[in-house]
Amino acid sequence: MAMNGFVRKFKPLEILTEEQVRAIHLATLDVLETTGVRMEHKGGLKLLEKHGCKVDWEQNRARMPAGLVEECLAKVPSQFRLRARNPKNDLLMGGDRVYFQTFAGMQSIDLETWEPRPPTRKENYDAVLVQDACPNLHFLSTYTPWFGWKGLPPVMSIPESDASRLRYSTKAIETGSSYDSEVFAIMLAQAVGADVLGYMGGSPPLTWYENAVEACFRLVGAGFPLQVISGNTMGANGPASIAGSTVTNNAELMSGIVLAQLIRPGTPMMVMDFCFPQNMRGGGPLFGDIGAFLHNVVFNQIWRSYGIPTKTPPAGASNSKQIDYQCGYEKAMGALLNALSGTNVIPLQGGLNGELTRHPLISILDDDMAAMIGRFLNGVEVTDESIALDLINQVGPIPGFYLDKAHTRNWWRKEQVMTSVADRLTYPEWMRTGKKSALDYAKERMEQIVGTHKPEPLTPHQEQAVEDILKEARDYYRKKGLIGEEDWQLYLEQLESPGYPYA
Amino acid sequence: MKRMVLGGLAEAVLAYDPEAATRWARQAVAEGIDPIEALNVLTDAIRQVGDGFETGELFLPELVGAAGAMQAAMPVLQEQIDRSGAVRQSLGVIVIGTVFGDIHTIGKTMVATLCAAEGFEVHDIGVNVTAEKFVDCIIATGADLVAISALMTMTVPEIRKVIRALEQKGLRDRVKVMVGGGGVTETFAEQVGADGYDPTAPGAAKLARKLVGK
Repeated sequence: MAMNGFVRKFKPLEILTEEQVRAIHLATLDVLETTGVRMEHKGGLKLLEKHGCKVDWEQNRARMPAGLVEECLAKVPSQFRLRARNPKNDLLMGGDRVYFQTFAGMQSIDLETWEPRPPTRKENYDAVLVQDACPNLHFLSTYTPWFGWKGLPPVMSIPESDASRLRYSTKAIETGSSYDSEVFAIMLAQAVGADVLGYMGGSPPLTWYENAVEACFRLVGAGFPLQVISGNTMGANGPASIAGSTVTNNAELMSGIVLAQLIRPGTPMMVMDFCFPQNMRGGGPLFGDIGAFLHNVVFNQIWRSYGIPTKTPPAGASNSKQIDYQCGYEKAMGALLNALSGTNVIPLQGGLNGELTRHPLISILDDDMAAMIGRFLNGVEVTDESIALDLINQVGPIPGFYLDKAHTRNWWRKEQVMTSVADRLTYPEWMRTGKKSALDYAKERMEQIVGTHKPEPLTPHQEQAVEDILKEARDYYRKKGLIGEEDWQLYLEQLESPGYPYA
Repeated sequence: MKRMVLGGLAEAVLAYDPEAATRWARQAVAEGIDPIEALNVLTDAIRQVGDGFETGELFLPELVGAAGAMQAAMPVLQEQIDRSGAVRQSLGVIVIGTVFGDIHTIGKTMVATLCAAEGFEVHDIGVNVTAEKFVDCIIATGADLVAISALMTMTVPEIRKVIRALEQKGLRDRVKVMVGGGGVTETFAEQVGADGYDPTAPGAAKLARKLVGK
């Protein structure tokens, strides 16, 4: 039994009528049958053709009959277990379960200037330690949690990232796919007896490039569960309307599901909604925008009707560059609305400006937010004991008092959340203790984690296997010319450092 | 008639209407209007949209829509310019694209549009562009400046490859290199020896002007 995570104990928030859900569903099937998807992978197209899709070989376009799409959707299990390195951290994806996940980012931030900067190898491993120590963080995302660190060749980012998470945490992991990285992810997961949630990333609109399809074949072929991801930017590579963008997004996801289910029927899958409105001024996605959360809520409702687990990263993203008011309200709205509307995974801890920056201090702050949302999901217990009718009648009006009652001692811990770093002091206490903010407490907590937290290590045999696989990856990428000599020399300094692999 | 045709061309850009732009460009050729003059009308119109974007009155959909209308009319006029042997006056020739492995297009398109609005002849060679293709297009167009975009951290090193390819072909001294995109930083730009970097599209267009000394 998966012990971690939260369970939503009430009906999910739904904002579409059944007719509206049906209209979006039918439009999605129409797009797949009329326009289809572009797939730059001959093997994928052959498999689709064999099962009744119309393939235009000149345009690499596959048009999918509605019957086949619905048949494949029905084959996806409504729940699946994702095995972690330590079984106590296994996840049971689907249903009313809600897990919180790391939010990855390209770079770290300087806490004085708030400017982005690349992290170091040691900072990466420290950040993984923080992830391992956050009690409400159940699932570790692809990447290190950064997209790399100083002196790390970009093609080694995912293999080194996977290794760092396996070394410094026993929580469940996922991986990305870039430059054949899934080959090494499969080997690493097998070496430690865990699962890795694979990644098949679409390129909107309606396109699958070769590497994404190849990753699907490899990961599904190896028997791992797969998440299919699409993320159009509304008004840029997807329609500006939330309904229209949901149609193209879902069409991409469904076409990925069709392929995976044809490769191996019954493959456990999860779908991810990574859509944002386009910032019509600056050109980037509008992270933390209410339009993104509306998209997620609609997405969660529709995919729950298919019985397929969901993940919604916009929940943990903000447009702010600082750990500030905007960062807090954007993330809180996103995470709570997603939790209420029935997503299964909320990437939250650590993210700042979309995928551009993150910081482990934010992981610690976000972990309190996750605790509060988890408490909300647990709902309200209404029993004779919780209603406490006899007690209320017994205490009566003033000078009646509840603080000294057994009922209070029994119930307050169930009803309240004990946050880790939120400032909840009275003014006198706050002034006496140095007027600290939640961020100050998070800094202290991080120092404590880095100084004292001991993750469960890999066995010597597993550690050797991980190192052998990394060596194989390095050799592979060097042979392919994807690690140049200059990059290799910089990387070598780390590999030969006495602090390797942790610093 | 000439006034009506040139007015129609400008209107088409300001209405973000590529079909009308093509139609008016064809009409201009049919009426024997100087294609350079027609081109200048297009450039003035796109500059007007660029100014509106910079002052916050217009937004990306308008900017990209106007660029699309201009690009639709361009081949018709360019063909006529080539046929007549006239020389197009511009601030310079820019080749712009997103590096190999990266399919992000929006920032690159914004820079291309605003550079065209500044008065450059812009050749937008798209996304997922190899170093070899950058070099080939620079040679083919006689570009003065190449603008290289990369959004993803993992594809940023491709910028270095383009610059090296330019060096290997002996082109680096005559082509200015400007870099940008979400994954690019000023430090990186300095490290790879780019001539300029700007984090914003309007800034990049101004930078292009500065780099070619205009």
